[in-house]
Amino acid sequence: MLEMKGIDKRFGAVVALNKASLTVQDGQIAALAGSNGSGKSTMVKVLAGLVAPNAGEIFIDGEKKIIHSGTDAARENIATAFQDLSLIPTMSVKDNILLGCEICTKSGMVDEKTSRKQVQELLDRFHIDCDPDDYVQTLMPSTQSMLEVAKAVFRKPKILLLDEVTASLHYDEIETLFGIMRELKAEGISMVYVTHRMNEIFEICDTITIMRSSETVISGQVSEFTLDDIIYYMTGSRPKHAKAKESDLSHLDDREVVVNVKDISVYPKVKDISMKAYKGEIVGIGGLEGQGQPEVIRAILGAVKPQSGSIEFMGKPVKFKDPAAGVKAGIGFISGDRNKEAIFDVRTIAENIFAGNSAKESLFAYLSARKVRQFSEDAVKKYNIKIGKLKDPASSLSGGNQQKLVVARWIAMNPNLLLLDDPTKGVDIHSRQEIHEILRECAANGMTIIISASDTEELLNISDRIYVFYEGKVAAELAGETKTAEHLVSAMMGVQESGGKEAAE
Amino acid sequence: MSNKTMTFNPNANKDIFSKINLFVQTHTALMALIIAVVLYVVTIIINPRGLNTVAIGNIILLTIILSIPAAGQTMVLIGGGMDFSVGAVMSSTAVLTTYTMRGENGHFITVLLLSLVIGAAVGLLNGVCCVKIGLPAMIVTMAISNIVTRMQYILTQGILSGKASPLFSASVKSKIFGVIPMIVIYAIIVWPIVFYLLKRSRFGKQLYMVGNNSGAARLNGVRVTKIQIMSYVFSGMLAAFAGMLGAAYMSTARCQIFDDYAYMSLIAVIIGGTTFAGGSGTYEGSIAGSLVMVLLSNLLTTLNPTQPVRNVLNAAILILLLVLYNRGKAVRQ
Ligand SMILES: Nc1ncnc2c1ncn2[C@@H]1O[C@H](COP(=O)(O)OP(=O)(O)OP(=O)(O)O)[C@@H](O)[C@H]1O
Ligand SMILES: [Mg+2]
Repeated sequence: MLEMKGIDKRFGAVVALNKASLTVQDGQIAALAGSNGSGKSTMVKVLAGLVAPNAGEIFIDGEKKIIHSGTDAARENIATAFQDLSLIPTMSVKDNILLGCEICTKSGMVDEKTSRKQVQELLDRFHIDCDPDDYVQTLMPSTQSMLEVAKAVFRKPKILLLDEVTASLHYDEIETLFGIMRELKAEGISMVYVTHRMNEIFEICDTITIMRSSETVISGQVSEFTLDDIIYYMTGSRPKHAKAKESDLSHLDDREVVVNVKDISVYPKVKDISMKAYKGEIVGIGGLEGQGQPEVIRAILGAVKPQSGSIEFMGKPVKFKDPAAGVKAGIGFISGDRNKEAIFDVRTIAENIFAGNSAKESLFAYLSARKVRQFSEDAVKKYNIKIGKLKDPASSLSGGNQQKLVVARWIAMNPNLLLLDDPTKGVDIHSRQEIHEILRECAANGMTIIISASDTEELLNISDRIYVFYEGKVAAELAGETKTAEHLVSAMMGVQESGGKEAAE
Repeated sequence: MSNKTMTFNPNANKDIFSKINLFVQTHTALMALIIAVVLYVVTIIINPRGLNTVAIGNIILLTIILSIPAAGQTMVLIGGGMDFSVGAVMSSTAVLTTYTMRGENGHFITVLLLSLVIGAAVGLLNGVCCVKIGLPAMIVTMAISNIVTRMQYILTQGILSGKASPLFSASVKSKIFGVIPMIVIYAIIVWPIVFYLLKRSRFGKQLYMVGNNSGAARLNGVRVTKIQIMSYVFSGMLAAFAGMLGAAYMSTARCQIFDDYAYMSLIAVIIGGTTFAGGSGTYEGSIAGSLVMVLLSNLLTTLNPTQPVRNVLNAAILILLLVLYNRGKAVRQ
């Protein structure tokens, strides 16, 4: 049994934890829920030995433990999959997994053969489709997340901490992961599971602990809670059940086509994709991992060059030579892979929010400090980003707040076309709804939005129309009647059926 | 209860330590200034006669000269590169200045334009080789330094020739109120330009973005290579101008006279809080760092050790400073 009691943590003036507590029984999966910046990751890091709390105690099986470092945590058989990943991008998959627990022969040499075999077994178990010698930086975000979990599981922990590991995972990967979690549970391993996807809590967790502004507000059996209860404890208010209103698409055909992608291919993932987006429309792109969604979005932006096919933007054929050209033409891009593609971690929060503007206008024109401050203050207010000071580095923000910052950065620039690749990764349910509302509002004012999301529910909620990609082709186009979870999932799995409109037509 | 205090005592210590660490990391310019003051006080204690207007004037003058290549170095480092050619560029334009002026007044504009063109050209070459072709910055800029140095010998045959114009020399060396050297006028022109570029223009914002996370900068619509190449070009031009001022200060200039400024500017900038990793650093820090470098050499002169001892001392102090400064930040709190 694991118990954390009265944990306090301050970062300068920011209180990250205030008498927080958590209890996990052996062989149970404990959900740790709470809005962005409520202190979940900090709790996890305290257990992992990365954050030294200012006060509090940790007990394992009734015995008081002192965890000051990663080594201490490893000694207590605690392994962690971190929200912002602990993989080293420039090392191979195999070396990352074996890091710190190399398998040696009797003579003390690294046992290459056994290592390779065990790593391969691990990858197979997690359905990770890559070579053990591939560099981690070449893997897709979701594969990296899976690998992060695999790495933790490889350490044969008694206590496994999973911090938002499903944030970038797709439908099938989550199934695999849950299968493994059930196996581990049967072996008596306790798990702490942090997530913003509420359905997962009901599916896999036994108990739930909810945090709000650095404090533990309640914990109990999952079966005692409804979704509304959870949201209530997270936010302090009961959710409104206003159904997201669908945009009126009846006159779609007389509207201006903003993006017209014709038969593009991008080696190796995208084989033949055609799609259209009309002015003021929110177009979703669905599919399992690796079906070419990110490539198509980046091809529109100008970040990758398609080998064949053409792209029209605002009625004119375009061949952007780099993203700068795309941005100049009126495109904005929001990435969910924030470490790699969005966040400037050592720069201030203000500069990060202003980054879209920084990239756009003339290089040497006078830029007043007030303008930057005003711009970022507005965004912080509008998007409810939880920050210390605007001058703090972006790395001081919690994962979800970093993501909100990235979203704010581009929406505030009001581009003609907004491209979003898994934009709400790690954003809590409440803020996610707020972002959806803002996107709806932008669309109503004429912004065209193309969004790809790993979460099928989110995709269904936000999109007017969905293109489902399968093996680099459009497997189905869902709108109106056909835009249902069943259709979406079966199209994602490549099952042809009459419900979905065929792409070829 | 006593158990509890026991447990968390180390944390309390850690807290103070991390606070100091945080202070050092967030107030790097101020820290450099404090170090400068300490160095100066030590120097004066060892040699009270060092406290005179001539010495102070010299410190100001040398700091300003160093602060100019340091400005370019700051930009390049922020953008994720490194420029080892500033020394060679300075030497070249210094030689060019004396060679062209030949001790006569009136060639200033010609020399200025020529120098800036040379600086920009070297910078462009550096930029293209490092950024476009992707060769390691340290090696490229050193190799280009060698070429630039060869040019000095071709121009002068290695013979000390010419002299800076008296008027130009006076505009650098003569003292206002008997203390402050006239060179501050050049600082009043150059420093604000650098501050403007780094703090008040989108070029500066983009440079920081590029250095911090070039992939993210690109997807945000920043032309990464263009910005990085521009940082090298600015660095070349600033070094070229500093070389002219150096020539005016020295009156004559032999080949390779300012080659030391390559590593001196680099260390000054690092002491001022700019990191090798790119994406962070300020010019005020680099100016303070320049002051530290000048005062350090001043202190060593005062101690007057033999040259080898001096070199060892110099290196030891610098390593100490760099270790203090660039203590890698924890990846994660
Ligand atoms: N290194 C740090 N420096 C300063 N503040 C920090 C630091 N790490 C975390 N914080 C602050 O502590 C609070 C809790 O952060 P934490 O990462 O635990 O949130 P979280 O619950 O995991 O949120 P999310 O769902 O967005 O991941 C936030 O307000 C954050 O800004
Ligand atoms: Mg978190």
